Amino acid sequence: MKLSDLFEEGRFVVTAEIGPPKGGDVREPLEVAELLKGRVDAANVTDQQSSVMRLGSLALCHLLKERGLEPIFQVTCRDRNRIALQSDLLSAYVLGIENVLCLTGDHISLGDHPDAKPVFDLDSVSLLMAARRLQEGYDLAGKELKGRPEFFLGAAVNPGYDPLELQIIKMEKKVKAGAQFFQTQAVYEPRKFEEFMEQVKYLHVPVMAGIVLLKSAGMARFMNANVAGVHVPDSLIEEVGRARDREARIEKSIEIAARLIRQVKDLCQGVHIMALGWERLIPAVLDAAGLLSRPQGGQ
Amino acid sequence: MIGQTQKPLEEILGYLEGREKVVLVGCGGCATVFHTGGEPEVKEMADILSQKGKEVLAAIAPPFGEFTCYAPWSKARLSKYRREIEECDAILMLTCGDGLQVVREFILEGEFDLLKPIYPGTNAIGHMGGGPTLFREKCQQCGECELGRYAGICPLTQCAKGLLNGPCGGSKDGKCEVDPERDCAWVLIYERLRALGELDRMREEPRTKDYSKMTRPRRIEVSPLVLEEGAE
Repeated sequence: MKLSDLFEEGRFVVTAEIGPPKGGDVREPLEVAELLKGRVDAANVTDQQSSVMRLGSLALCHLLKERGLEPIFQVTCRDRNRIALQSDLLSAYVLGIENVLCLTGDHISLGDHPDAKPVFDLDSVSLLMAARRLQEGYDLAGKELKGRPEFFLGAAVNPGYDPLELQIIKMEKKVKAGAQFFQTQAVYEPRKFEEFMEQVKYLHVPVMAGIVLLKSAGMARFMNANVAGVHVPDSLIEEVGRARDREARIEKSIEIAARLIRQVKDLCQGVHIMALGWERLIPAVLDAAGLLSRPQGGQ
Repeated sequence: MIGQTQKPLEEILGYLEGREKVVLVGCGGCATVFHTGGEPEVKEMADILSQKGKEVLAAIAPPFGEFTCYAPWSKARLSKYRREIEECDAILMLTCGDGLQVVREFILEGEFDLLKPIYPGTNAIGHMGGGPTLFREKCQQCGECELGRYAGICPLTQCAKGLLNGPCGGSKDGKCEVDPERDCAWVLIYERLRALGELDRMREEPRTKDYSKMTRPRRIEVSPLVLEEGAE
């Protein structure tokens, strides 16, 4: 079932993230895709995540689509100018990929080719605008297209951003530019997330809470120190820190993710699970959260 | 001003390998402020090259205020050293790349009709403002000034990604993901617009930049500057 229809029908939508490999061996992501099929409504495929050169998002999206898992094509503005971006959007459309998550992208200095030339001709907002313009039958230069593509456009938002007003202004700008759903940065504080959802209610746009699997206390502290707008409360750090071995950590990670999903379930329209290498645990997280299999869509 | 730093000496000596007679040219403008090509630096470089066995035929340091990138001034100054320039094996420029190319094109080739190797002694690192000690890059000469829309803060230059619709997701505690010492331009823009009571500007239609105005090399013709008393 189409992602857009699921939101339309008011279902609680579940997505997960798959990262393309660094190289041509796609066995791992395709195995993960098999595990996720029937358990999530769609899978995001990241675009050179953290500015590290990898297999392209579009190619892996196509492989997922072929195997019956609905892809969400993540597109960043770091590596392509507006000509290449619009062209890749058209390419996605003809391959049957309609869900697109429009992002600005990390800076090149954070990745493995820090001497590359950064592009950023467009940004997340103007990329959304470009995608919407294509759907209207025109490109950014105002030239008419032969054949209009159709997309379901997503964007990112960070509920923990400070100052929040600035983040909400940008979210509003994204909605006006064409964003039809949002996936958030990792949520660990349901109360704060609830306040955020209250403040963006006026935008009438589906929001999927970001769930990042907590792997260890060290990871939590690292995110607190380095990731914008993410705050793992001390109680969670202690909880995950009590796990003695790898097995116990995995169990705890599943338990915490499932609990967070239950806590945000009534506040938003879906969850987006980012397992960061622990994708094989996602079915167990969904079981524990009471999100059962998704025969052609949600429950 | 054009911010600049001195090139590593090994690189400079590499350029001058096999070239014994050298003419040095500094600049009384930015290179003097950034201590890369003012009088003291030109003299110091002349001493270093002499120690390395080079014969420095002339060490030309224009006085403060006399920009080497302004061709009428360089022409007047370098004409006094025409004999040394004709005799030398290479010219070392302690100026920005602008100064070097003006001397190469307008003076050596245009005025003296000379084919001479000419090498840079500095690295230019941007159009900067500030001082007397700390300078920051402020403008990238985009050809269509955006400052009127963004509270007098240039998002193209101050934001590492040059976003016109920022901030990006990497800004943390008002700092940039590229360098936590650097302020996020978009938080600065937001705060300033807010204080000015112009926050609605942030809600305006998303914009794309017209990069055609940055198609290089750009050129412009103006009527000549009339100076009271040329370059001496």
